[in-house]
Amino acid sequence: MTKSPWIVVKWVAITAALALLVWIGGKFAAAGSLWAVVGVSFIAMCVLAIYGTTRAVPMKYLFPGLFFLIALQIWPIVFTVMTSFTNYGDGHMGTKDESIKYLIAQTVKEVEGTPRYAMSVAVKAGGDVATGDITLLLTDPKDGATYAGTPNGLASLTDGVEKGPTGKITAATGYQILIAREVNARSKDLSDIVVPTEGGGIKTSGLSEAFVGKASLQYDAAADRLIDTATGKRYMPHNALWVPEDGQGQSLTSGWQENVGLRNYTDALTNETLRNGFVKILVWNLIFPLISVLSTFLLGMGFALLFNDDRIKGKGLWRSLLILPYALPGFVTALVWRQMFNQDQNFGLINKTFGMTIDWLGDPTWAKVAILITNLWLGFPYMFLICTGALQAVPTDVKEAAKIDGASGFRTIRSIIMPLVLVAVGPLLVASYAFNFNNFALIFLLTNGGPFEGNQTQVGSTDLLITYAFRLAIGGTTPNFGFAAAISMFIFVIVALISLQGFRRTASLEDVN
Amino acid sequence: MHKRVYGAVALAGVTALALSACGGSSTPSASTAASTAAKATTAAAPAPATTGAPVRDAAVDLVIWCDQDRKPIIDKYAAAFGAEMSIKVAVQVSTDVRKDFKDATNAGKGPDVIVGAHDWLGELVQNQAVKPINLSAADQAKFPAEAMAAAKFNGQVYGVPYAVENIGIVRNTALAPDAPKTFEEMVTKGQALVKEGKATNAVLLTVSKTGDAYHSYPFLKAFGGGIFAQKDNGDYDATKVIVGSAESIQGGEQLAKLGKDGILSTNVDGGIVDQVFDAGKAPYAMTGPWAIDKAKKAGIKYAISPLPTIGGKQMTPFLGVQMFYVSAKAKNDAFAQEFVTKYVTKKDLQIDMYNIGKRPPALTEAYTQVAASDPDIKAWFEAGKGALPMPNIPAMNSVWGPLGQATADIIAQKATAADRLKAAQTEIEANIKKAG
Repeated sequence: MTKSPWIVVKWVAITAALALLVWIGGKFAAAGSLWAVVGVSFIAMCVLAIYGTTRAVPMKYLFPGLFFLIALQIWPIVFTVMTSFTNYGDGHMGTKDESIKYLIAQTVKEVEGTPRYAMSVAVKAGGDVATGDITLLLTDPKDGATYAGTPNGLASLTDGVEKGPTGKITAATGYQILIAREVNARSKDLSDIVVPTEGGGIKTSGLSEAFVGKASLQYDAAADRLIDTATGKRYMPHNALWVPEDGQGQSLTSGWQENVGLRNYTDALTNETLRNGFVKILVWNLIFPLISVLSTFLLGMGFALLFNDDRIKGKGLWRSLLILPYALPGFVTALVWRQMFNQDQNFGLINKTFGMTIDWLGDPTWAKVAILITNLWLGFPYMFLICTGALQAVPTDVKEAAKIDGASGFRTIRSIIMPLVLVAVGPLLVASYAFNFNNFALIFLLTNGGPFEGNQTQVGSTDLLITYAFRLAIGGTTPNFGFAAAISMFIFVIVALISLQGFRRTASLEDVN
Repeated sequence: MHKRVYGAVALAGVTALALSACGGSSTPSASTAASTAAKATTAAAPAPATTGAPVRDAAVDLVIWCDQDRKPIIDKYAAAFGAEMSIKVAVQVSTDVRKDFKDATNAGKGPDVIVGAHDWLGELVQNQAVKPINLSAADQAKFPAEAMAAAKFNGQVYGVPYAVENIGIVRNTALAPDAPKTFEEMVTKGQALVKEGKATNAVLLTVSKTGDAYHSYPFLKAFGGGIFAQKDNGDYDATKVIVGSAESIQGGEQLAKLGKDGILSTNVDGGIVDQVFDAGKAPYAMTGPWAIDKAKKAGIKYAISPLPTIGGKQMTPFLGVQMFYVSAKAKNDAFAQEFVTKYVTKKDLQIDMYNIGKRPPALTEAYTQVAASDPDIKAWFEAGKGALPMPNIPAMNSVWGPLGQATADIIAQKATAADRLKAAQTEIEANIKKAG
């Protein structure tokens, strides 16, 4: 390596990258995620080893791509696979211990007829306000009696007690009273502290009040059961939920996250609605992207050929206009089209213009047509763009040779231009197919999968697998991300197989070169 | 469409996760009912490019999340609270409080207090995100019983309400001077106006192709039907779905008749209700307070009245309650409890919140003062009398889709009311069972 000013630039860049990684690592460390810190350190070492030395020259070029491939492609897939083996979803977010603690805390009720104390929070005089053992200084609002409450119990307090206007103790011998901010800093300790009394326990509420509360749920650790003390009902853990032991009534509100092995996959395979809808949806899911790609390609290619002709004036302007639909946000376009497809001529521009009464979004067949039309509008400018690019790359001498050989215009397009264009755009057509295969936003905004036939809301006439999976796992019911992940793995396999096949086919196109 | 194929392939894997971000927010709620109504009309306006959750400000002593509209008012009281306690309070805007709060709290980065609708409650408890508030009995008595009932889950109070909302009949007084007593009267009067060419729609009601359970519920409720049966203590019972009951079917038959007569149509969605009413082309709209601002701007002379009777039975809407919640994982729990129990119960705060949202304040004292000067508020409150709170149990997530679609299908004459509502009941029960 030659010495040059660039070496300074190089080391500045390396240092900057390392500094960024240290900063990110610090954030992860603060959040307590060990594995993320290990990962970041590994990347930092890679950066140093690859760019700081001359040992791995090819890696210098490969590393950035590799890094983003892993971070943005591989990791999400791994994460999805991992999630698919859990029951992660609404009601199953935390651990079992958290659910026990939370459920019990939710049942703490103020015991009727007990006083609501005015409260000050104190530590022993000379103690540390941030860590010292907390004593609650309480004033009974009825008789003004004052107490010191600790986890050991309630004791009368009279020594040097001074009270504020609300009855709150402002000074007491032997205690240091915490100011609001100090009290708040001890929020966690305060939510744990209970001063046992006869009827239950005194708990704090806010900064200056305490009440006698009692939980109606108890945990029996030996039997691993939650017991409702009011009704005597016992709840046992089952499928990551607390279900009634006698099988009567509802399970408790909150469960926990656990590994469920292959259950999400077996559920998906044995789910009756999923099975019934699957074939119907898969067929439409295969046809929809196919027609979309073909129609957008034909229209885009047609325009590209037209505007590639030298006889057309003002090509730049025409081309800009044609790209406009592509420049508008797709979801806005979809919503505007939805309005235009309204059956009622008072609201729907399309039926009004053509004097029709077609129920575009309410009839299963017309809804499919409506989606294809909208996607044609959304997609052709892109095809126009890439075809224009590819056309301009077709050498003029080939075209001239065709002309000299006496080929007609159509013959030239079919035999000379198309094969050359397809080499360039073939892979993009496959990619476009794969994208439309999962075109969630369009379906979601235009029809939401509907119309729904046959008195149900599970399988819609325009559903793609992805919108269907969304409704099944997340949209129409209590969100279950584990199940959604399992279904998206099925979709992943289907798309991967189709894409693989597609690329094999397009590879054969390159033989013309 | 220009994603590279790797992108497309990976997309399949990650889409479910990315989409999961939209989960839950697709169900209507007291607050989203308003936004769905607004959605279609603002279709042409670009949405904000980023919808990320706000990042919790670590340097402050109390963090509150709310939506953009309410921030100025909450800022004012947060500042007062901060001054009293000599602390720093941050009020941050979230574009989707419900989802952002759930996710952020789960990751330990949530706020201490959120402002939201009461029907999020069950879902938030299910995910261990909120905790009970110890509002004294005396404080609870300052609110109407219905509002307090909405703030409760399993008998515990989880929020302090600041506003209530419900639908009623908004009429264009130029076309229909008198408050309607019966739905039949509205239909007759409306049809006459349509015949004269003065209106295009007799009665406006949000239906849409996928249906709208929130707006259809009063029809079922009129005959004693509804969604869930109530337990003795007033809580909704998720194990007793009554969507397919004989009473609900009677209501469904009314929808079928109105659909057949062309009064109600699946071509009318929330956007069109506003559009037609604000153009002065319909005498009646069955809608809520969110429609008023637009009607005023359009220069429509309007009046608000309670829902009428249908088939001789009184219709009642769902009651929605807006409230302040305290996070179960609040880092500043003591301040959060103090703010919510001591400040949200202040009359001034409730009146200021009314000035933003134009909903009746929940605090009775504040309502009385506002109602004396604002007839709209009095009318909305009257229209909400006797209304039951929208269910806040998690099982409600399983209801919106199937019931909405059922009402749409009934109105579109795709099935009879009895068949369709019974089918919806089966579907809802299966969904609830699946969720545990």
